[in-house]
Amino acid sequence: MGKKIGVFVCHCGTNISATVDVEKVAEEAKKKYPGVSYATTYKYMCSDPGQKLLRDKIAEEGLTGVVVAACSPKMHERTFRNAAVKTGLNPYQVEVSNIREQCSWVHQDKAQGTEKSIDLVRMMTEKTRKDRSLEAIKVPVTKRALVIGGGIAGIQAALDIADGGNEVILVEKDASIGGHMAQLSETFPTLDCSQCILTPRMVEVAQHDNITLYTWSEVESVGGYIGNFNVKIRKKARAVDLDLCTGCSSCWQVCPSKKIKSEFDTGLGNRTAIYIPFPQAIPSKPVIDKEHCLLYRDARKKNIPPEESKVCRKCYDVCPIAPVKAIDYAQEDEIVEVKVGAIVVATGYKELPNNVYGEYGKGKYKDVITGLQFERLASASGPTEGEIRRPSDGKEPEIIVFIQCVGSRDPAKGCSYCSKTCCMYTAKHTMLYKHKVHHGHAFVFYIDIRCGGKNYEEFSLRAIEEEGATYLRGRVSRIYKKGEKLVVLGADTLTGSQVEIEADMVVLASAMKAQDDADVVARTLSIQYDKDRFFSELHPKLRPVESSNAGIFLAGACQGPKDIPETVAQASGAAAKVMALLSSDQLEREPVIAKVDRLPPPVFSTCIGCFYCQRVCPYGAIEQEEIKARDGSVIKTVARVNEGLCQGCGLCAATCRSKSVELAGFTDEQVFAEINSVEFN
Amino acid sequence: MIEALRKKAEELLRSNTVNVVFGYGEGSTPERTRPVFITKPEDVNKLTWNQYCVYNLTTYLKRQETRKLGKPAIIVKGCDAKTVIVLIKESQIKREDVYILGVTCQGVGEPLAVKCKACDVHTPRIYDDLVGEKVENKELSFDERYAELDEYEKMSEKGKWEFWQKQFEKCIKCYACSNICPLCFCDRCIVEKNQPQWIDPSAHARGNLSWNVTRAYHLAGRCINCEECQRVCPADIPLNLLNKKLAKEAEKNFNYRPGYNIDDELAMSTYNAKDNQDFVK
Repeated sequence: MGKKIGVFVCHCGTNISATVDVEKVAEEAKKKYPGVSYATTYKYMCSDPGQKLLRDKIAEEGLTGVVVAACSPKMHERTFRNAAVKTGLNPYQVEVSNIREQCSWVHQDKAQGTEKSIDLVRMMTEKTRKDRSLEAIKVPVTKRALVIGGGIAGIQAALDIADGGNEVILVEKDASIGGHMAQLSETFPTLDCSQCILTPRMVEVAQHDNITLYTWSEVESVGGYIGNFNVKIRKKARAVDLDLCTGCSSCWQVCPSKKIKSEFDTGLGNRTAIYIPFPQAIPSKPVIDKEHCLLYRDARKKNIPPEESKVCRKCYDVCPIAPVKAIDYAQEDEIVEVKVGAIVVATGYKELPNNVYGEYGKGKYKDVITGLQFERLASASGPTEGEIRRPSDGKEPEIIVFIQCVGSRDPAKGCSYCSKTCCMYTAKHTMLYKHKVHHGHAFVFYIDIRCGGKNYEEFSLRAIEEEGATYLRGRVSRIYKKGEKLVVLGADTLTGSQVEIEADMVVLASAMKAQDDADVVARTLSIQYDKDRFFSELHPKLRPVESSNAGIFLAGACQGPKDIPETVAQASGAAAKVMALLSSDQLEREPVIAKVDRLPPPVFSTCIGCFYCQRVCPYGAIEQEEIKARDGSVIKTVARVNEGLCQGCGLCAATCRSKSVELAGFTDEQVFAEINSVEFN
Repeated sequence: MIEALRKKAEELLRSNTVNVVFGYGEGSTPERTRPVFITKPEDVNKLTWNQYCVYNLTTYLKRQETRKLGKPAIIVKGCDAKTVIVLIKESQIKREDVYILGVTCQGVGEPLAVKCKACDVHTPRIYDDLVGEKVENKELSFDERYAELDEYEKMSEKGKWEFWQKQFEKCIKCYACSNICPLCFCDRCIVEKNQPQWIDPSAHARGNLSWNVTRAYHLAGRCINCEECQRVCPADIPLNLLNKKLAKEAEKNFNYRPGYNIDDELAMSTYNAKDNQDFVK
């Protein structure tokens, strides 16, 4: 039985009707297209009355197929399909012909716009005639989430998801959770102590019944698909048994290697070879730095297992745990396999190192430091216990210069973007400085001051007006050493004059960059990243926490530069998405997926197994299937689509030379009918 | 050399290393050869080797009839060996399931085949055993290797269009080109798919065009230019001109030569951020 198709042409106000004669499009459809039994126009098809019209006419006219000629299917395909479902029509019998973006918006001549619209609607009608009803695919959901990264983004997401009653596995590659936020001194715009507000949350993570924490661990591989990811986590050997260790601190007190640059203190302070990164670390249990530990160095040199080295076993000897010591030099990496339903990526950022700019001393001047280093100087837990002192000689700087946009907004250094946080933290730095060095003077070189955010503008003004920081609009061309001083040469573009400041210390507001291994992480997770290697959100406005891979969400600075409030908000957003996903027992997936044909023996499939499809599939959805005879011998190896992983992009179908792959909803027959309808009319 | 080849074949068959040897035998006239499939050691004298061994025997690696004979040893020239590499890369045969019996070659055909003029693989780049004196593979420049396109590329776009229309007019849709091609290995060719019928099977202008263009596209970035399609074409269509042009584009844009190195990733299914993007406008 032939289909009864209804064509609904939308005016979109005048968006479409100004350049397309919508009445004529409807008339042509009704008069000439085979299968069309009803055609009309309406001012706004997406409006409630518009949808009602669609529903009513499906019922009254007994329509079995619908073409809505309107905007891009990206906008309202779901709207119209949902409307049709209410009348009992299968949603995949409803198609959208895009006559707005493709006709009215790109044509000025109404006759041309109309002619093209008529063609497009005819093509879509031909496709609709061959539409088949499709049923949503149901996949089960594993009610457990993985959070990658234990900074504030990962902590927030993990806590929210866990509070929602779901199991969470939190993986952190460092020895402790906390991330960059733990390194900060005070936070803008309220100047409350960063660690004071963060550490309670870290403790919550450690104590939460629903959270399993893996520190000193990394995600090795991710397989599977939304609702059903298979994750392998590598627990790196930390040479300390976490179950036995009580964190008594005896070991790191006796460790003889005391001059190792502390990563947590950004190289400004020292740590031992067996260490906890900072006093409030979670877990508060040490790890051995095998690069620097005397025992491991000796073992490497002699090529013997570390437990056989006798060079230094002070930490082992002092460990009070008995009868089995908590120190275990022979410990090896362990791989843990877990199944999760959703993943939150919160891998954070790294600061642009300060050796990038030759004109700023290329990292050779000890007193030219980065913003993060200043945070450590200003922090009560830092190497100077919160006193602002020059790294070179420990003197208090009386004149300090802050330079904004170091790396940021500088395509020459690979960061064309604004790092967003630097204006605010520089204003904060000037205040912290003034609060500690009352007689000192702070200068700030800036390009623009960008302080969008609640109470942000006021905060920045306070730095200038109340705390007396001198803001100079212009860039610094050079810094050079003159005796103990650093001469800063810059421009003040507002007065049009050259400025030369003899400073004691210079702080660079360095750009926020993607992590060095962001691309590797992206490939492991099959998610997309942008030119700066920040992970891409699915839609810049409407889907800001979803990655390009269904079931994987983004939180924090791994997606782009962000401050703490924004990071926390996004993390909670990602957590909400995860909870929505984990709240159902089964997931409904779009049935628009590819399928490799299967035929009766002796052919089995026209697939010849060249596996080009497997190589081009961005989602890893193509598997190899061995077709076996009864005796178990392999007759042929062909491609098969994993329904859970397939996103329906159609690359496999396009690549297949023998046309053995079909994409549901976009079958060869449908596409062929569309093309043919243009050629012959 | 013939003796060495026969001896090696006999050895392989006697030791049961292989079940069959694909080689060249004498043809009906002295300037002809034909493929032979030796399954018994006592038959190895049927094998021959001379300058008329133009064919690319690797086409028999794809055929059901010859596959049934068991594990083959295949006699390949430098050019033919490239096909074996592509077949391995495209999962059509496993490396361990074929014994590659390489022969060194200074060019075949009387007069010398066009492909031999642009040859820089006189010694195969992959083999299990090599028969014949090892010949130095002289590296040819990009331009030298694609010299046969010089005349063609001088034509205007319109001229090329008219040229091919005229050539394809001659096509009788015998599909000899696809049958002989070692890389046309699909069980069901796109031309045999009739729901929908993408390519009109009758021999008229429109179907001829879509068939010949589709065939060439399906070989883009894969064809090793053995020229077998052109050799067997009863209508004398210069098919390899199309293949060669596409090969040139593949090398120019993706720095890829099919079958040249077994470790190279296939150009047509590999994404590389450094790929030439100039065509995106």
